[in-house]
Amino acid sequence: MRERWTQTRRSAGYLLVSLVTAVATLVALPLLVWPSKARAWAHWHRRRAGRLLGVPVPARPTPPHGEPRDGWEIRTAPATRRGLLWLPTHLLTGLPFGLAALLCLGNVFTGLWAMALWWALPAEAIPTLQGEIPVDDWATALTAAPLQVVVLAALFWWGGPPLARAHARICLRVLSLSEAQQLTQRVEVLTRTRAGALDSHAAELRRIERDLHDGVQARLVATAIRLGVARDALDEAPEGVTELMREAHEGIEEAMTELRNVLRTAYPPILADRGLDGALSALAAGCGVPTRVHVEDLGKVPAAVEAVAYFVVAEALTNTAKHGRATRAEVRVRQTGTGLSLQITDDGVGGADETLGTGLAGIRRRVLALDGDVLITSPQGGPTMIEVEVPCG
Amino acid sequence: MRVVIVEDNVLLSSGLELLLAAKGFEVAAVARDAPGFLAAVAEHRPDVTIVDVRLPPTFKDEGIHAALQARSLHQDLPVLVLSQYVEREYARELLSDGRGGIGYLLKDRVGRVAEFTDALRRVAAGGTAMDPQVVSQLLLSRDPLAELTPREQEVLALMAEGHDNTTVADRLAITLNAVHKHIGNIFAKLGLSPTDSGHRRVQAVLAYLNR
Repeated sequence: MRERWTQTRRSAGYLLVSLVTAVATLVALPLLVWPSKARAWAHWHRRRAGRLLGVPVPARPTPPHGEPRDGWEIRTAPATRRGLLWLPTHLLTGLPFGLAALLCLGNVFTGLWAMALWWALPAEAIPTLQGEIPVDDWATALTAAPLQVVVLAALFWWGGPPLARAHARICLRVLSLSEAQQLTQRVEVLTRTRAGALDSHAAELRRIERDLHDGVQARLVATAIRLGVARDALDEAPEGVTELMREAHEGIEEAMTELRNVLRTAYPPILADRGLDGALSALAAGCGVPTRVHVEDLGKVPAAVEAVAYFVVAEALTNTAKHGRATRAEVRVRQTGTGLSLQITDDGVGGADETLGTGLAGIRRRVLALDGDVLITSPQGGPTMIEVEVPCG
Repeated sequence: MRVVIVEDNVLLSSGLELLLAAKGFEVAAVARDAPGFLAAVAEHRPDVTIVDVRLPPTFKDEGIHAALQARSLHQDLPVLVLSQYVEREYARELLSDGRGGIGYLLKDRVGRVAEFTDALRRVAAGGTAMDPQVVSQLLLSRDPLAELTPREQEVLALMAEGHDNTTVADRLAITLNAVHKHIGNIFAKLGLSPTDSGHRRVQAVLAYLNR
């Protein structure tokens, strides 16, 4: 009961405010057809409607920092269209719905007022009930007036909330994105955040590589040098000490080797030193098969993508040298609209099988981890071609 | 023997100074970057230099460039390049001028004092010292080497590291004659004419491998 009372009260407020804003819409129409104003006005209504229906309404997307305004306007065109559509819709629904509420509630108040105060008013200001019934004696004041109050209050009690909800639903329907638009927007958001994640991942990789190089690795080397000098100077050590120092020294050497392997597999140091172009040329120079590398002028490529490209080419060229019986290989790297495209071909015997050995599977695993695509064509008799595309953001 | 070091990490340069002093080398200067290194070389005319690959300002491969530049400025300046990782490509660049007196080792090897000072002396004397990891990277990548017997591959690896025939014989516990025979076979299989000079042999091997 109490809940119903709150509902009715809120519906009354909602409908009356809708009436006011509908009138305001009519008055301020020349101003509201301005796209940004239309969007803001529509969004305000949408939030109100959402509050009434208890439906969450997403925050209004703001232009991303640094994005050209034109691009933003174009991408928000659907939102602008909806905002403009809302103007007539609101006039057609907000005005009648709000007027109905105003009439209903206004006459409830007239009834109450007439019932209690008719006798205090001058003759020319006598209140009139619906049906042109003047309230000029106690009989009318205590029968017709309460009847009007009860009937209209009941009418609003019964009809007010559904009316308000209907307006709110229409509002959300007009102003909400279609499913396809929602998905598009979601994809846009994800693409943006994904690029951000890749970038910060790249920065982290570089930082970790540098920190380990300058810190842990340097300290291990310095310690190994001191141990080496100490061992060298140790002529007559007590029983077991020489052995312990040898073990300690070997332990440090193993740690250095392991650390180097970890770094190499996480982010090859030559990438940090020479960039993708230089690192790939180094791979090609070291490949047993004469290999040509074409790297087009690459823009900014996230380090994580560079690392994947490096590993893919390394793995592919290893396969070529080991199994392909090739006389020539070629690596092409170029930037496409959305990412980095790699193509590794050789003139070997083909027949590369992903299910045998881990090389090709490793390529696929690394590329898929970055949401990329792999296509391997290797018919018996060759040639073998590995095509990889990795999105850059 | 007078040494100029370029190493930006104080921890490492002090370790190197300690080691070299203990083994009777004289550290003439320690530079922190490439320009400082070139100045120190011009000033002190050292017998051998030790160069770190990653140097300020970008901490990439400045050391390689500094080494090559110093060698073009000072004919036959012996340079031992140290790095925390080795790249075949860097080895190729260091060896590309076709002269001896060049070394390229992992910093890990410095702790093996006797081997390290041995390598340093070898470089100072105009020989070569290649890290076993560089050599194994080279051997892995070249298919025709599959024709070599395992023993010949061992001999080639030691040769590529810069060892002379006597050391190869010692390491493998075989006679000097056997080493000569293996080397002859290796050169024959790889289509190279045999020579006796340590670093020229390495260059021949590397030149072939990086063809």
